[in-house]
Amino acid sequence: MLEIKKLNVSVEENKILNDLTLSIKTGEVHAIMGPNGSGKSTIAHTLAGNPNYRVESGSISFNGSDLLDMEPTERSLDGLFLAFQYPIEIPGVTNASYLRQILNSHRKHQGKDPIDAAEFLKLLKEKSAYLKIPMEMHSRFVNTGFSGGEKKKNEVLQMDLLDPKLIIMDETDSGLDVDALKVTADAVNQMKSKNRSLIIVTHYLRLLEYIKPDFVHIFQNGKIIESGDSSLASRIDKEGYE
Amino acid sequence: MSKDQCLISINGFNSTIENLSSFISITKAEDFITNKVLDIEIDKSENAQRINLTLNSSSTDLIDFEINLTLNEGAILEFVDESNYSNNSNIRLITQLHKNSCFELYKLNSYNNENTNKFYHNCSLLENSTFKDYSFSNGSKENFSKTIINLDDVNSRYLGSGVSINNSTNSDTEIEIRHNTKSASSDCYFKTVAKGSSKVNFDGTIFVDNYCSKTISNQVSKGLLIGKESKINLVPKLEIYNDDVECSHGAASGQPDKNTLFYLTSRGISKEEAEQIYVEGFLSEFFETIDNASMAEKAKNFINLNT
Repeated sequence: MLEIKKLNVSVEENKILNDLTLSIKTGEVHAIMGPNGSGKSTIAHTLAGNPNYRVESGSISFNGSDLLDMEPTERSLDGLFLAFQYPIEIPGVTNASYLRQILNSHRKHQGKDPIDAAEFLKLLKEKSAYLKIPMEMHSRFVNTGFSGGEKKKNEVLQMDLLDPKLIIMDETDSGLDVDALKVTADAVNQMKSKNRSLIIVTHYLRLLEYIKPDFVHIFQNGKIIESGDSSLASRIDKEGYE
Repeated sequence: MSKDQCLISINGFNSTIENLSSFISITKAEDFITNKVLDIEIDKSENAQRINLTLNSSSTDLIDFEINLTLNEGAILEFVDESNYSNNSNIRLITQLHKNSCFELYKLNSYNNENTNKFYHNCSLLENSTFKDYSFSNGSKENFSKTIINLDDVNSRYLGSGVSINNSTNSDTEIEIRHNTKSASSDCYFKTVAKGSSKVNFDGTIFVDNYCSKTISNQVSKGLLIGKESKINLVPKLEIYNDDVECSHGAASGQPDKNTLFYLTSRGISKEEAEQIYVEGFLSEFFETIDNASMAEKAKNFINLNT
């Protein structure tokens, strides 16, 4: 599904990713761990096409297409989803209207009619109930005044609505209390399938105790220094990165 | 049409005035086309009186007239102009608000990109009177708007909210709020969106005379630059000659936040749609300032249609 080859990425004048190579097959769950500044978020944002991250060299193939040739919109419509570590606040735009708009963008791309208001409300109620999101939250402006937990649940809700092929979760566990973490992890586990891949970027073991990864990669200085199965995450949790 | 309403319709060289309200008196109506002046007087009533102004003309002639509007003591008036201006226009409104009166002016106007449109409003407020001034405009090759507010008596209050949307068009908005008495208040919010090669100027002055203690006055102007060639010039001015006042002003302009646009596009929304959502969010706080629910909805629709 995803082939990253010798990827070099800079932010402003700082080189962050150094010849990063990573291959992810359909249905696999990969965890990326590493100390602060090791390039975990950089790979997440580069995959989503954040223009603040400049690709110097290397290639990324996503389901056979050259991902680096695609705009962020196109990447999303083709099935890539980044759950932000710090979801952006959009004052003046209600969450409900925003969610309907992003869903309709995907439906349009798939050749479907826009979802009508009643049908959308029913869908939103169903998805929100599963994530224990109060419906009242959807009448507020997008992420504005949301708690840390609400923002992260809203990211998972969008993920669920858009039904992506490749999910990248950038420190979704940060800011979540134990209960919210479990609810969120349960929702993500429900989304795991043989047709969908996951990249989980995290500092801690706790999310990986709920969402079991097939592979764990340790990042340092913008490259993978060690890969292994889920036991590697347990070892890092005990011993640290040093 | 209810008994509280008056419809003034101006169609080229013809005008019709339908007035069902016994609280609205109109003089010089018969000579309106010749003199281009209407005198309107509003009396105190239990319910708000309403004037709807409609301009309809397919000709290219200049629409040029003046309305002298007086709200007598305790009068309440909603004045609504939702016209699409297809002509050049030069409209003057002279308003006198007497004690305890309340005037709400709603202008939701789309202009033709080929025309020049001028609006001039001079409003004087007496004791305990209130003027709520809502203006939403879109288009016009050259749009000039000048408003002078004279807060002439204690506890008079002005609340002004203006939105100007420009798509390779030019607009000049000037507002001068003159505190000529103690204990009066004013709040002025102006937001503009400049697309394409638009040039937008906003000049806002708050004047507080030396004997006008206990004045409260705030002014905020914000601009959003969408086009690479667009320009916004916001000029807030304070002229305050009394120390016992609470006055503030702020002005800011810039381009849409890149991180927000990336967030939106990363969810499958096109760059153009993302900018539109951003603009709607930028302008939406104006709906909150409108107490009248149906007018707030109209303002929302106006912005949705024109962004």
